Amino acid sequence: MEKRPKVICVTGGKGGTGKTLVAVNIATMFKNEGKKVLLIDGDVENPNTYLLLGGTLENKEAVPFFKPKINEEKCTKCGLCAENCAPHALLHIKDAYPVPILAVCSGCRLCYKICPVGAIEEDYTTVGWTYSTKLNDISLLVGELKPTEARSASIVEVLMEKLTKIMEEEPTKYEIVILDTAPGAHCDVELLIGMADKVIPVTEPTKFGKLDLLRIIELIKLLNKDFRAIINRSSLLGYRDQFLKELEESNIEMLGDIPLDDDIVNSYCLGKPLMDDTSEFKGGAGYNSFQKIFENLELWLNSKGD
Amino acid sequence: MVIVAVPSFGDGGLNSFMNPRFGRCDTFTFITIENNSIKEVKAVSNMAANAMGGAGIQAVQTIGNYGATEVIVGNLGPNAAQSLAASNFKIHQAPNEQLTIKNLIELYIEGKLQTISGATVASHYGMSGSGRGMGGGGGRGMGGGRGMGGGQGRRF
Repeated sequence: MEKRPKVICVTGGKGGTGKTLVAVNIATMFKNEGKKVLLIDGDVENPNTYLLLGGTLENKEAVPFFKPKINEEKCTKCGLCAENCAPHALLHIKDAYPVPILAVCSGCRLCYKICPVGAIEEDYTTVGWTYSTKLNDISLLVGELKPTEARSASIVEVLMEKLTKIMEEEPTKYEIVILDTAPGAHCDVELLIGMADKVIPVTEPTKFGKLDLLRIIELIKLLNKDFRAIINRSSLLGYRDQFLKELEESNIEMLGDIPLDDDIVNSYCLGKPLMDDTSEFKGGAGYNSFQKIFENLELWLNSKGD
Repeated sequence: MVIVAVPSFGDGGLNSFMNPRFGRCDTFTFITIENNSIKEVKAVSNMAANAMGGAGIQAVQTIGNYGATEVIVGNLGPNAAQSLAASNFKIHQAPNEQLTIKNLIELYIEGKLQTISGATVASHYGMSGSGRGMGGGGGRGMGGGRGMGGGQGRRF
């Protein structure tokens, strides 16, 4: 048996399909089995896993982002920094000091490295925060982007650096790591999928759901990851039968489906995971569907001899 | 003496139309004004017209390196506005109508243009396909260099 945690990424392309619901409940089911579970919320624009676990965010840490600071006593106004800045984040007019235009700065530090007189100093701006806490016996690591900031991938990068460090230095600290992503198929999501052993795209049986599922699967395949889909709200009528047929025709494997069920909504509103071993919703349609998904997930994780 | 930069269509010059796009205009027309009269006119191609990003910032470098200290604009994005402000440019707002550079400069000399301090449009407003639909021959003038190219000096 490998001495490193299994990493499962829950994603899905479309927003509001139930990614966080699935991530939190899968984490809860592993916890029920006595496993040491780390849940990472990588939806940094709207982190809300902690709400579904009924807790609050603790241990706030700032995520710093490089910005150039011009030391006018050293600067010779040569313009080398501005000439070489790919996003043109340094404005240089002859005989004037360069001016950083931070909105377009990628934080690459090239200007800092190439300044021949050391006139560019390292300064930092806060682009967001991370939080770490333990709720309901599940360790939680959360990233949050500062409102008005655009550089969300830098927060996800910090989360993944923390995960890499844990896996290298304390490989037995956790047995299961669940990554919850933002909607979309952008670089934040790519970073998280890239760290995973298994990927679970969660979608719903609508035309929007299908389109976004196909887009996220394209990304998952580009990253050479093993994936199986979950269909949430599977009892929605209308497009459902055609949807399932199309998934089958596209050879998209399924981990299971979750029907519409008031128990799910109630547990959501109460901030108590549906699948917790103290759940008051045992035996309902939603509860049973999650149990079936978990059985399939364990079989999948244990397949291929690892 | 003051040098005013105006974003222009095509080859620029006094008889060309003012371009409402700042960072992605075809040319900048530079008008040197002394004692309320036009002393010199030069047009310089805008190397940032087709830039991937940061066009406004590069355009400010172009006009700053030419020696302009005032600019007349139609639309102005946030990065260009910040760059102009950081370089102490005086920014004048052109009226929302199609005017030649000559007409505009007359308004400027008569003191009829308002000065503004910030952006007038959001990021990427002037990218292809989202401006005011007045596209005028993009892709021209990749050469030219920093304000040294193709002088068309006209004296009045």
